[in-house]
Amino acid sequence: MFGSIMSANWPERISAFSRSPSQFLCSTTSDIFLAEVLRELRDDRASDHIKVLLLSPLLEHPTLLCPSVSVGEETALELMSVFAQCSPKSLPLRRHLLLALTSVLLCSCCVSSHTSASQDFLELLLQTAQDTNDAQAGAALRPLRATACDCLRELEACLPGLLSQRLELLSSLRQQENSGLHQAYTGLHALALRNAVYLLTQQKGAGAGDLKAALGSNEGFVWGEGADSAHLDSESHSDLAIFSPLTLGPMGKVPSLQTGLDCKELRSLLSSLLEESYLLTSLSQAALLRGLVEVLAMVPAVSPTIFRAQLLRLLGTCKVCLVHTTLLMKAAFTDSLFSAEDEAFLLKRLVGLSQHPLLSTPEKLFYMDCILHFPENRPISCGDGDESLPVLLTPRLAAALVPTVFNDSVSMLARLNLLSLVYLEEGEEDGEGQGGRGLAYLYDHLTSLLRIVENQGSREMVVTFFRASFLFLLHFCHVERYSEDLSQRLCDLYLRHTRLAPHLINLADRTQDRLEESGWAVALLKALQRTITEAPLSQLTLQDLRWHLRILARVAEEGEVLQRATLNFLLCVITSSSSALCVSGDWRLGNGVLGVCRRLLLHPSLDSLLTPLADLLQHLTCHYGETDIQDHARLYYTLLTTLSREKLAGVLAQRGAERGRQAKVRSMSAIMAETEELTSGLTVHQTERPLLRLVKLEKHEPDDCKPEHKPESESACESESSPGQGGIEREDYRAQFQSPSFASEITLQYHLTHTGVHDPRFDKLFSIRLHFDLTDGHYEEVSDISVPCLFRTRKPPTVRLRLKPKQPYHTTLRASAIFTTEDGLSWHSQLADLHVAFPEVFLPFLAPLGWTREQKQRVFEGIWGEICSEESEGDLTNAATSLFCDQLEDSAMGELVEKHFQRYLVSDLDKGRCKVLFFLPPQSHVLLKIITEEDAVQVHIATDNWKLLPYINSYLEDITKEIHSTQQVNGDV
Amino acid sequence: MSVRALWIISYERGESVAVRFSRRYPTVEKRAKCMAGSLYVSVPEDGTVLQLLLTELGLSDPDKPYMALRDDCLHQQRSPALELHVEGPSGGVLWPVLVISQGPLILACLALVDAPADPRPPLASLFSVSQGLTLLAGLQAFLCGSGSKPDREGLTSRLAMMPSILLQVCPLGTPQDIPQPGASSASALPTPAGTQKQPAWKTGLHRGRAVVNVALTEMVRSMQYGNRNRQDLWDVYGTVTCKCEVEGVLPNVTVTLTLPPNGSPLMDVLVHPCVSSLDASILTAISVEDCDSSAFSGPYKFPFSPPLEPFRLCSYTSQVPVPPILGTYQLKEDDNQLRMTVSLKLHESVRNSFEYCEAHLPFFNRDQMGSVDVKVSSGQLEVSKEKNLLVWVLGQKFPKSLEVSLEGSVSFSGQLPGPTDPLCTDLTAYIKLYFRVPDLTLSGCCVDQHSVQVYSSAKPRIVTSRELLSSEYYIWNSTGTAPVSSGHMML
Repeated sequence: MFGSIMSANWPERISAFSRSPSQFLCSTTSDIFLAEVLRELRDDRASDHIKVLLLSPLLEHPTLLCPSVSVGEETALELMSVFAQCSPKSLPLRRHLLLALTSVLLCSCCVSSHTSASQDFLELLLQTAQDTNDAQAGAALRPLRATACDCLRELEACLPGLLSQRLELLSSLRQQENSGLHQAYTGLHALALRNAVYLLTQQKGAGAGDLKAALGSNEGFVWGEGADSAHLDSESHSDLAIFSPLTLGPMGKVPSLQTGLDCKELRSLLSSLLEESYLLTSLSQAALLRGLVEVLAMVPAVSPTIFRAQLLRLLGTCKVCLVHTTLLMKAAFTDSLFSAEDEAFLLKRLVGLSQHPLLSTPEKLFYMDCILHFPENRPISCGDGDESLPVLLTPRLAAALVPTVFNDSVSMLARLNLLSLVYLEEGEEDGEGQGGRGLAYLYDHLTSLLRIVENQGSREMVVTFFRASFLFLLHFCHVERYSEDLSQRLCDLYLRHTRLAPHLINLADRTQDRLEESGWAVALLKALQRTITEAPLSQLTLQDLRWHLRILARVAEEGEVLQRATLNFLLCVITSSSSALCVSGDWRLGNGVLGVCRRLLLHPSLDSLLTPLADLLQHLTCHYGETDIQDHARLYYTLLTTLSREKLAGVLAQRGAERGRQAKVRSMSAIMAETEELTSGLTVHQTERPLLRLVKLEKHEPDDCKPEHKPESESACESESSPGQGGIEREDYRAQFQSPSFASEITLQYHLTHTGVHDPRFDKLFSIRLHFDLTDGHYEEVSDISVPCLFRTRKPPTVRLRLKPKQPYHTTLRASAIFTTEDGLSWHSQLADLHVAFPEVFLPFLAPLGWTREQKQRVFEGIWGEICSEESEGDLTNAATSLFCDQLEDSAMGELVEKHFQRYLVSDLDKGRCKVLFFLPPQSHVLLKIITEEDAVQVHIATDNWKLLPYINSYLEDITKEIHSTQQVNGDV
Repeated sequence: MSVRALWIISYERGESVAVRFSRRYPTVEKRAKCMAGSLYVSVPEDGTVLQLLLTELGLSDPDKPYMALRDDCLHQQRSPALELHVEGPSGGVLWPVLVISQGPLILACLALVDAPADPRPPLASLFSVSQGLTLLAGLQAFLCGSGSKPDREGLTSRLAMMPSILLQVCPLGTPQDIPQPGASSASALPTPAGTQKQPAWKTGLHRGRAVVNVALTEMVRSMQYGNRNRQDLWDVYGTVTCKCEVEGVLPNVTVTLTLPPNGSPLMDVLVHPCVSSLDASILTAISVEDCDSSAFSGPYKFPFSPPLEPFRLCSYTSQVPVPPILGTYQLKEDDNQLRMTVSLKLHESVRNSFEYCEAHLPFFNRDQMGSVDVKVSSGQLEVSKEKNLLVWVLGQKFPKSLEVSLEGSVSFSGQLPGPTDPLCTDLTAYIKLYFRVPDLTLSGCCVDQHSVQVYSSAKPRIVTSRELLSSEYYIWNSTGTAPVSSGHMML
């Protein structure tokens, strides 16, 4: 009806959508886009290829396009009808349609709401799947059957138990099928079996009989609650266990079904599944085995030894998924399936795989991870998920995995970690805690890495070396022989490559955090200080000095490190005649020096540093060739010489504890980092949680244009306009819009209040500035709003938000606030997103001053007539009409009008009829003629903007639904 | 056991970085959301994922020497799974993002955590991880084609096939298969369902003459130091590749590997999943523990039912008593000149019939070569165009003495600096050997034509072959320090 203006170039539009849905939806809305997609899907002229493409947004982002059950249901119905009309030859399209339907129905919660579309869809899938061995549709349709099985399986995965009463059917389908498709049936059957057994374990008193009945059941679907049901959000483990009973039982216990010894049926079913497992692809085989492991773990009556026949085949495989399944099998059954020899063999095999020349790096890394979480038959530790070494992993065995310089970075670090754990234990055993030859080797390795860094190793190598050092220290910091040597080597390295300063500071920070008591970090910093201050000044370059200052500033943060040497060094650098530093007036260097000074001002040994520090600052004040640096130096000098220690600390140490190590807290002030704490009043701090919120006021504010302002009895005006002058009135009405500011805004009112977060610091807020960011392109930028103050104890201030729509759609605004607290600090806080609903955009009839009701009605009819005639002229206009029907009783009708339309009435409710006009800035009208007949209400809709129709419809649906429910409640009462 | 999303990224240093393909699985996402509860972090849009991924891989902002987010030493990436730190109000940690990269391609997927998110379960307990890794490796093999590096056009056309590939192998986030390289069109003609169950990994049936081709390739690696304090290392690994064109739904074939008497046993045997049964003794020998001389040493029987396409039936490693070529390399620095002596000796047990044999002598961290005054006792010496590498072409045969030598000096007086290498500084230098010997294995392992059994109506033609290839065959200068390549001998 509305033409296919936008249909051009679907591939580009779809790829734009996939690239960034949010950006794409800035230029349109999801409803419009969905409507367009569905229309194009119905279009016979579009090629299958395009249609498959069109399905991808539904396949990948169903929740964006179908946010509610009702939209999901409608979309699904549309897709089903497209599916029904497809030519049988359009196989890829039909397969994609099934997938898209699965996605839409599951993600919009239609399946869990048990909607009729999802029932129909399930029937369709089952019907498609039942054509085993191509008996009816022929081999050409085999791929469609495969997809139907995939969809059923996903449905069962998301709603566990859905097919639990259909096990008989699934079993026979699996057995009948002889083409390669039996794999799909097997997967489906195994999953349904696993879920059915799990559900039985949750039934009180369920036993062998119930199991037998379940295996032979062929009833309907079980519409239980699945992944989207509310009660699962409670996160209780037993509820989640259905998705993975093995790992999820309460307290790590697998739920079990007490069957006694009589479960012949299950046993024979399992062995037939196992027998055919060889015919499946490795991935499906692994999934099947894992499902069966779970079943067996839940039914203790069946012995896991039925896996034994498969075991050798699995142990010899080169496929990572099958090896992994074997390990999971071992974790589940331990010594009831794996003897001690098996265990030893498996571990050796894992070590071998971890360094196998024919395997890929990710696989080897994964196997190393498996060694550190090896499922031992008799674990010593409690298995709290941490890395731990299996007892059988001897240093001799692990030697195959020692790190070498030929490894890639990730493998090298993984090996270093593993071997560190091995030698840590070995070291404990040798009694002296000094480590043995293994540790010596690791340290040798570390020094080889250091040599590579020294020889201009790549950036990656540098990072790897520091990570390796950290890892080494983490384990062997206590072995002084090595840790002291390492810090000496690091100092030598630094002197040759001062650009490594940030890495060294990072290493010091991290070791200090993680190894607080060791003192290694402080020792390193002390050594670095010595290295810097004792190096000959003649060789110092400006570039080096820049890095030295970074290091010295960090050293100055350590109270235990004496700072005399630092000060002497700075004095030498600043005052020496050969230094061009003062003359150059380099701001950054000057700032670097000041950064060290500022930390020295806070240093516990300040008293002993007083004179040289004062000298240094004074020299800077007098001789440094940069005014800003001079000023700051003077300030520091004044502070130093006039304030007491305590006050000085108070001024400077606003944020003493947190040293801004978090890389994330980066702001404009980074370049001024060195003065930031002094000026912390100027820094904007970030609140952790939203502190403020905007609460919508329901009361409507008299609109700016005051449409209903004048009393209607003003007859003077009435005489001027005689009947038949509708056209002129319409022109008058339209003339108002000549002024661009006329009725271009909507005003929403909110209370600004505190959120529930209670923090006395924020009880009184001042100079609050609210900032709003748009999330789409439908509105003009919103200007900031200032609120003088907000006290928790006082009435909340009212905030009027003016929005200027470009397109009158609902929208979401990101809101944030900047404010000042009593102590003078500035804060930035994010507010919850502000949602502006579609009806909030409505304005009432904007009649010129003094118009009578009759005049308005004439304009209303005039516009109505225009829309109807334009629409019939062709599809290039924006005009559209529509009809909405619902069952409403008279009383309900009255309530509806009173509650929702009062403000927009053009004619009052009379004999069940009324007229309503919504004006939506900037230029759109929506006209409603409401007619009640008996208990049905018809709403005739006319609009000059067809894109609004879907919103109008859902708006009307919403409000009538609301009325229905209140009526219901009233009735019940 | 599913993946939440999948990305294919092309990354060329200094050039374009782009998400070339991505796929989200919203139904898996729904399960993820339910499992993770309050710790759930949704998958950001592709642009964001790309940035986060590059940061984690240390590839973002290559011009900046240090970035706290990227280079923090606390951040230890030690497994194939990455954490992506998503910022913003709905932010948090996305884990485990599995990554495989080869050449300019990075493949990543986010695996489903089907266990409570807190405390974080060990990677090894998540079934979806090995599934995801298998899927990624399969997609990688498909995208890269036969070569190790995908060509541009080929990659583009294969990327365009991704939607239909995923429709087959991973339609709703649960991987079921990996794409068959180049076989996507073959599946268009399904064979009618017979009375016997057809393996899911077999896309059709072979018709025509039966041919079985078994090729055995052995690679030899070596690190020779020429130093009394450091033991030389060498090892061998082999693969058996088969292509079986045999009729029938589930034909039986058996390939037997045999070793000569006194041959050291095959170790670390890995087999293709189509091998239907294995004898426990075949698996017992493992290279990481001391070898038992009385261990099982064949014959190694591998009964299997072959897939249609060529496949790797099995692989093994082996420890042979001597390296095929033993070498020494000595350098002496004299002003700006290196004096060198090299000798290579072919072991007498090795067939002296190469397809090619070359020794490469690269020089790093020096200027280009100026005058080259080097004599060789056999073969020819070439100087590479870039003047930083000597190539000694030894040809097809060693002389009767089985020993060749090289002697002379090279000056580094060229105009331009040569390539750099952080490892090969000063006198740390190596010779790398490249050779191929047809019809030879060092382990002595062989597939006898008559030992290949095919249980089918027609008598098949059976072709077997074997070869020895060098791989990472290094001889280090004994007058410099050489890097350690394995701790085994050191400890």
